[in-house]
Amino acid sequence: MIVAERKPMVEILASIQGVSRLLVVGCETCVAVCLAGGAKEVAVLSAALRLALRERTSAVEILERSVERQCEEEFNAPLAEDIAKVEAVLSMACGVGVQTLAEQFPDAIIYPALNTQFMGRPEAPGIWAERCLGCGDCVLGRFGGICPITRCSKSLLNGPCGGSSNGRCEVDPEHLECAWQLIYDRLARLGQLERLYAIEPPKDWRSAHDGGPRRTTREDLRL
Amino acid sequence: MSMAQRLLVLACSRSAGEALAALEATGQTLPPDVTWVNLPCGGSVDVLHILRALEAGAEKVWVLACYEGACESLEGNRWAEKRVQWVQALLQEIGLGPERVVFRAISPTMAADLKAWLEEE
Repeated sequence: MIVAERKPMVEILASIQGVSRLLVVGCETCVAVCLAGGAKEVAVLSAALRLALRERTSAVEILERSVERQCEEEFNAPLAEDIAKVEAVLSMACGVGVQTLAEQFPDAIIYPALNTQFMGRPEAPGIWAERCLGCGDCVLGRFGGICPITRCSKSLLNGPCGGSSNGRCEVDPEHLECAWQLIYDRLARLGQLERLYAIEPPKDWRSAHDGGPRRTTREDLRL
Repeated sequence: MSMAQRLLVLACSRSAGEALAALEATGQTLPPDVTWVNLPCGGSVDVLHILRALEAGAEKVWVLACYEGACESLEGNRWAEKRVQWVQALLQEIGLGPERVVFRAISPTMAADLKAWLEEE
């Protein structure tokens, strides 16, 4: 899923300064699952904003909505009436959802309420960790299902480096396992250690964002 | 929701609720500007309950739950305290006093303590 966290309240409050009618819109997909931007978080943020703005002389009206997937225009279409009533929209979606609203409603002022962080998964209650950088050329099949690009702090394809100690990464030993220790252990378990004799060539990063913004076209889905 | 109340108490019925019952058995009553809500467990307190109460005009919110190790639902009291701390941090972020939300551990035998807390408030 896409993992995100709420921006500091001071930043959110600064972005909506002077706004008297506001729409807070959540998204019920990734950011709801990581408890950052679903309907519950919309209600909590809206309540916090009302409390914070109570001291202002002018009253602030806050509408609360949440859509199934803010990154798809079909789900956002029912927001049109509410968006027309407000001075600004605070989106609690990931950056994709925020941009979808901005593209779909070109006259609306859209502010992000979240910082989009990474593609990851929950490791334990309250802990999410990065698992995929979206490089566009998946290598997981060669590394026992553990991504050296994402999980190695140096994205080494021929690791480990000298900073691996007792299975931990020197960058943050408390929280980070050494991806190359994980790869070795997993390949050993699978009886595939011979894979490590192969020298990985330099990665072609053109399939990643380094080649510019990416798009995918499926001609079989187009008329 | 209107809540022109000084204090909202969100109370675990198994500890705080019993302490209040013991206090009331002695003829004491809650001050009129205190709203008391018994919950099945401290763990059922939600951050939104607290925020909505403040939004509706409550000056303070207390969350009363069992001492650590005494929760019949095992960890409901710890979750209650966590949620109070979360709201306190949020209030701090928006420039409101975190002391408006208070967590207190209590047991069924603490009617006298409960009375003292209410008098101090």
